[in-house]
Amino acid sequence: MLLQQLINGLTLGGVYAIIALGYTMVYGILELINFAHGEIYMLGAYLGIIFLGIFTSLGLTAANFPLALLLTVLMTVLFCSAYGFTMEKVAYKPLRNAPRLSPLISAIGVSIFLQNYVMLTQGATDKVFPYRYGETHIRFLSVDLTALQAAIIITSALLMTGLHLFQKTRMGKAMRATAQDKTMAALVGINVDTIISMTFIIGAGLAAVAGIMVASYYGIVNYSIGYMAGIKAFTAAVLGGIGSIPGAMLGGILLGLIESIGAAYISSEYKDVYAFIVLLIILLIRPSGILGGYSEEKV
Amino acid sequence: MLKLTSLQASYGPIRAIDGIDLEVNKGEIVCLIGSNGAGKTTTLMAISGILKADAGDIFFEGGRITNLPAHEIVKKGISHVPEGRRIFPKLTVRENLQMGAYTLSSGKRAGTDEEGLIAKVFDLFPILRDRRDQMGGTLSGGEQQMLAVGRALMSGPKLLLLDEPSLGLAPIMVSKIFRTIREINNEGVTILLVEQNAKASLKLSHRGYVIESGAIALQGSGEGLLHNEDIKKAYLGE
Repeated sequence: MLLQQLINGLTLGGVYAIIALGYTMVYGILELINFAHGEIYMLGAYLGIIFLGIFTSLGLTAANFPLALLLTVLMTVLFCSAYGFTMEKVAYKPLRNAPRLSPLISAIGVSIFLQNYVMLTQGATDKVFPYRYGETHIRFLSVDLTALQAAIIITSALLMTGLHLFQKTRMGKAMRATAQDKTMAALVGINVDTIISMTFIIGAGLAAVAGIMVASYYGIVNYSIGYMAGIKAFTAAVLGGIGSIPGAMLGGILLGLIESIGAAYISSEYKDVYAFIVLLIILLIRPSGILGGYSEEKV
Repeated sequence: MLKLTSLQASYGPIRAIDGIDLEVNKGEIVCLIGSNGAGKTTTLMAISGILKADAGDIFFEGGRITNLPAHEIVKKGISHVPEGRRIFPKLTVRENLQMGAYTLSSGKRAGTDEEGLIAKVFDLFPILRDRRDQMGGTLSGGEQQMLAVGRALMSGPKLLLLDEPSLGLAPIMVSKIFRTIREINNEGVTILLVEQNAKASLKLSHRGYVIESGAIALQGSGEGLLHNEDIKKAYLGE
């Protein structure tokens, strides 16, 4: 039972962690809480449905499902990254030197805009993920998980490892340097605008994958799912220490575990409440988060 | 090599420099001295592009570089060691140096040997070799200054801008830094030095400028300024 809940929690937590990374990376560089980040995840879920629909009508899904799924993920990541890139250029870059409240309000504006944009173009009713897959059950020790759950856990782990490796590359180091001191980064020749764009592109790409994973997992999406997911991921980022990449990973996984264990042992009615109880406790005891500290590395 | 003509720049609403004319020739060490708030740091910030000029021009090797973005100016061969050193605190010493070579690995000057450059910096400042895997923020003030200079050298600059390299350092470290500046200059790097320590910097420099309330008040050879009665009174405390 406990092991089963741990697996469920890990599935959920992996997704939270992937979304939380986008929050924490943007915060690390711009000290901006990008409240529109959850909407990118929602767009990812919708675009996943759209692209899978396109590939189905082309006959590709029937012919070669893994290839169709892979192409769907790639196209969705591409589109969401474009959304993330544009969002920064339109809504945040002009406010780079404005008081900190301005970009925050702008972020809420982008969030409202994207929700309504999807509601108007896709309809206000729930959309069903057109394809069920990965429903084979795997029995492992005393745990029962679906192939899809396993795929979600593995994908999350791979993405996190990938991001960790990316930080050691030249671009990754430039990103960390920019997060630590933007002026000095410019003085060594780093184009700070490019780095900021890259941060939004990577964050949006990760959220896109999370969107597809959740849409496949629950089988249903709605234009408002970005709101709750965004708040949960934000909680995860704060829990781990906002601005810290390992913190976002840890926070996301912990949050997933807390939710599923709370739902199983206390009450599933209060599933969404556990996250916020944890957030309150953390903010009271350790406001900088588990791995956060005034000296903790940002990004 | 570097020429400023009637350069004006502001900090917010305050005009910090108001018509600076200054020239640095290839191979020289030129120092810019003056009291706090006279506009020394602002001048360097305008040259390296982190502060926009309001009016006037900056020429480097014959080309106009006024108000180019900072990351473009580094590529032209101007490296700025800013006041307060600004080491990346959560990058290791090695990574800080690698960031200094950021412009090298991209584009034109590809194929340069980053490891070789790092080894050269380690030869100049052996202590950094022992500290290479330590976070930049854990170094002492003197070590941070060495790292800041080393990082600036990584891009292979033609002109090095140094802002208060001796500030807050122990006397023994100050003379070490000044010796190193001369060494770097002997290797062919032109240097524009901003200093509060007027005596030491005038001794080191070929020429000097005295800046007062945002404009050049006096200029001359290092030796000449060192013996100027007004300078002695105002800046050398004699």
